[in-house]
Amino acid sequence: MMLLYKAWLESRARFLLGLLAMAGLSGVFVFFNHDVRTVVTDHDVSYAEYIWRGIFKGQLRDIYVVLTLLLGLGGLDRERSYGTAGHTLALPVSRWRLIAARGLTGIIETAILAILPASLVPALSPFVQESYPWRLALQFGALWTVGGILIFAISFLASVLFSGEYSAAIAAIILLVGYSITTDLPGMEHYIVDVHDVMNGSGPHGPTTLAAISIMAVATIWLAGYITTRKDY
Amino acid sequence: MDYVIETRDLSKQFGTVQAVTGLNLRVTRNQVTGFLGRNGAGKSTTIKMLLGMTHPTSGSGLLLGHSITDPKQDLEARRQVAYCGEDKQLYAYMTVKQLINFTASFYPDWRSEVAASLLDQFQLPPGRKVKALSKGMRTKLSLLLALARRPALLILDEPTEGLDPVAIEELLQTLAGSPADGTTVFFSSHQISEVERIADRVCIIDRGKLAVDLSLDEIRQDHRRITLSFCRQPPEHLFDLPEVRSIETNGSQMIVVSSHGVDAVVERAKTAGAVVVDIVPVNLRELFLWTVQDHK
Repeated sequence: MMLLYKAWLESRARFLLGLLAMAGLSGVFVFFNHDVRTVVTDHDVSYAEYIWRGIFKGQLRDIYVVLTLLLGLGGLDRERSYGTAGHTLALPVSRWRLIAARGLTGIIETAILAILPASLVPALSPFVQESYPWRLALQFGALWTVGGILIFAISFLASVLFSGEYSAAIAAIILLVGYSITTDLPGMEHYIVDVHDVMNGSGPHGPTTLAAISIMAVATIWLAGYITTRKDY
Repeated sequence: MDYVIETRDLSKQFGTVQAVTGLNLRVTRNQVTGFLGRNGAGKSTTIKMLLGMTHPTSGSGLLLGHSITDPKQDLEARRQVAYCGEDKQLYAYMTVKQLINFTASFYPDWRSEVAASLLDQFQLPPGRKVKALSKGMRTKLSLLLALARRPALLILDEPTEGLDPVAIEELLQTLAGSPADGTTVFFSSHQISEVERIADRVCIIDRGKLAVDLSLDEIRQDHRRITLSFCRQPPEHLFDLPEVRSIETNGSQMIVVSSHGVDAVVERAKTAGAVVVDIVPVNLRELFLWTVQDHK
């Protein structure tokens, strides 16, 4: 339990800033929809499509991706550069437990960041005489959660592979961009699922796809754990 | 003999650098053992291998009877070991109180009354963030976290670094008294005078190898510095004796440090026409310098 508490303290600044950003921008998209609509799409699209283009497929989704990347950073390699790894590793807990605590905390935070706009949009829309179906919004929340956890896992793995302060973040971004470019190549849609398309609902998002992405995320975190157990600190 | 630390041919290689080479180290229970060596001699690497932070390249070791190469056994050993690292860095984002509560949660044998007493003695503000503490205060907090339990073994890496003289004195007294409480102390230091004050035994590591493993009594009683004067250049291999630890030649003068058998050295010197100028006991500083500077 205290390891979860430690993981929370380590990530809370990033998480709370992310929460603030997601909440604030969701509010802006809803309350200033007339002004923002001209920026993100044509004026004559429906409110539901505007929300999809602006939030679930648009800028807010990209911000969410960056935030989940940031949540994945940290861990023992970062602690080594801060000089605290000795204290952590001298505790009578296995490295697997350290990894599990950080992974679980990150997954929960990733899910909360995903659910927040999905909850705020239908809740705030009536204040501007609009409506957005709860069911649809929460469906996007679930898709964001699954996709976000995979992105978190990639960043988590990068943090184990690259110990530098910025190198892990840069490596995670390069991995993600490389992955996106690969999925955009002609014919690649038959072989690789684009997690961004899954998140905005335009790609395959059935139970099998979501299960496969979840398994891939867990396997990535497991790989990070395995590497951690074999490293010298 | 009951050992809390026992390594057998323990080695660690980082790329092309051999940090520790075939280390056979034994630390006796209920004693204070000082671990000396130059920078980069392999002290911290040895400690990290003992605590499972770094994996040995070869060899084996036992920490409180648990294998250091088996993660499960090493974890079991860590329940009874307190460690105070050389960095003295602690979680900057926690307050002193949060860090104490966090650390206490891992040890069923945590002594809250001792923690409270040390908090008061070290004048640590419970509500202050660790990042706002001075290095000296962080060192004290690190020591509090180590001493608030009754560990079977206390491992400290450069414990007095960053402390003021009063705090050093208090710490040394605490460490010297620890064996009476059932805690064996194993500490590395560059401060030879501190080691000499409180250690029962001294291990000197040089270039990854154990060069000296002696009690302070053995050093005081058995080791002698013999100054000899020759009327001509002294012969090169005159003192090829197992008890001779080092030889330094300066013109016609020769200084021999002998661990045992002063008589054998003196006899050979006289046979070669030397005059014995001086025979004095060796202190730890001299022994350390003679060991790591490679005079022979």
